[in-house]
Amino acid sequence: MTREYLVCEIDELPIGGRIVVRVRNREIGVFNVGGKYYALPNVCIHQNGPLCLGAVSGTLNASLETEWKLEWSHEGDILVCPWHSMEYNITTGESLPFRNRQLPTFDVLVHDGRIFVRM
Amino acid sequence: MPDTDSTLRGPISKKLKEFTVVDMDVHIHETPAALAPYCEMPWRKSLEHLSTVPQRYLDIPGFSPNLSVYPSFPDSGGDRRSTVSSASQMRQDLDSLGIDIGVLFPDALLSHASIKNTDYAVALARAYNRWMVEEWLDSDFSLKGAILAPHHDPHAAAGEIMRYAGHANVVAIYLPTSCVDPLYGHRRYDPIYNAAQDTGLPVTFHSVGAIHPVFPFNLQGFETGFANHIISHPFSLISNLVSLMETGVPVRFPNLRIVFTEGGIGWVPWIMLRMDKEYQERRRDIPFLKDRPSTYVKKMYFATQPIEEPEHMADMATFISLFDGEDSVVFASDWPHHDFDHPNKVLQIPVEDKVLRKIMGGNAIRLLNLNESVT
Ligand code: FES
Repeated sequence: MTREYLVCEIDELPIGGRIVVRVRNREIGVFNVGGKYYALPNVCIHQNGPLCLGAVSGTLNASLETEWKLEWSHEGDILVCPWHSMEYNITTGESLPFRNRQLPTFDVLVHDGRIFVRM
Repeated sequence: MPDTDSTLRGPISKKLKEFTVVDMDVHIHETPAALAPYCEMPWRKSLEHLSTVPQRYLDIPGFSPNLSVYPSFPDSGGDRRSTVSSASQMRQDLDSLGIDIGVLFPDALLSHASIKNTDYAVALARAYNRWMVEEWLDSDFSLKGAILAPHHDPHAAAGEIMRYAGHANVVAIYLPTSCVDPLYGHRRYDPIYNAAQDTGLPVTFHSVGAIHPVFPFNLQGFETGFANHIISHPFSLISNLVSLMETGVPVRFPNLRIVFTEGGIGWVPWIMLRMDKEYQERRRDIPFLKDRPSTYVKKMYFATQPIEEPEHMADMATFISLFDGEDSVVFASDWPHHDFDHPNKVLQIPVEDKVLRKIMGGNAIRLLNLNESVT
């Protein structure tokens, strides 16, 4: 059964911020990306590193559209695991190197100036 | 940057708690300032001066010449502490990783073979050895040391080996492997292998990513760290292994124990089979071998890190079986470097517990003559 669990007051999670909390015996990272909230488990799919403690960053991409030139993109959307630098898109939970693997994501809700995660 | 104390809270599995884990490769942070008091003149002057110049990760001019030629972007290198500066910090880190015993290797002096001035290289090796023994090995008995042998002067290297061989916590000899010229099979290195054999200390070939005009050559042709790192580590081990074989080191020094670290283990079956194939045709090039090269490869030791991570870890069990690695693969984490392996990853290889116990600790205990019993 899912329930809502208090994460923090909204003032505690400004744009670009992150907070790691323990909910139902799991560590969850909650992120504010451009005013929207996202929640991810604090366990990397690579070697179980605490990925939500990693840097929030952008990344490099290149494709036919950029004429194969490197482009800096997704500033603020990318989480880099502190153990071996694996990149994730915070907004989708997708792992960038392993396209077929993805983190579970959790709904985040705001009531009365407080942030909750539904699990 | 989160400190390791908070980023190292990975789960410790039941097996990890239960098994004796010996880590064949952990790194300590020797700065020029730390080594200066242990260094003879005039080179101490140089280390004192280098203490004042800007330094980057594994890149200090004149001390750890890394020649980084790639662009650098933020947050690409793991947002955590990647150096360990004291024995007590190392002990805490290894506890968090579930590791009982660690064998120490340097950070900056991974590039030691690329230093050109022989007298300076020997002085650096001596300073490092004095510093490691005094500041790390004398304070924590679960930390073991590998003596840096300067390839530039094999007699001086043998002297270092003999000087420290009697120390209870000196368990191996470290041969800096990338950029070495000539390769380690050359007969000029015989004094090192003699000393190793006489003292019973294994020689450990440890690679590093480096651009250098000797083997593994053509690294200057790559434009990314991706390519450099893939090729530099295993190829510097492969080239030196083949060199040892072509001059008969394993036959000429039958009691010498040989270890390869930091290339993973996937390359081992491949080069072993290539050597056997050539031997069948060209035995007379290397008539001193008494049997196929694989006979000798199977007696060498190979450290796991950076362990290959195929989708099915059962494939790693196959790799290991191809060179009878049950008794010769030794766990290594490479802590605290960017590509360290958590022991839990190696524990995922689906082999019997009795084999895992050997890989995680038993083989290293035998190799290093440690007084531990395997649990
Ligand atoms: S544990 Fe996250 S990148 Fe390895």
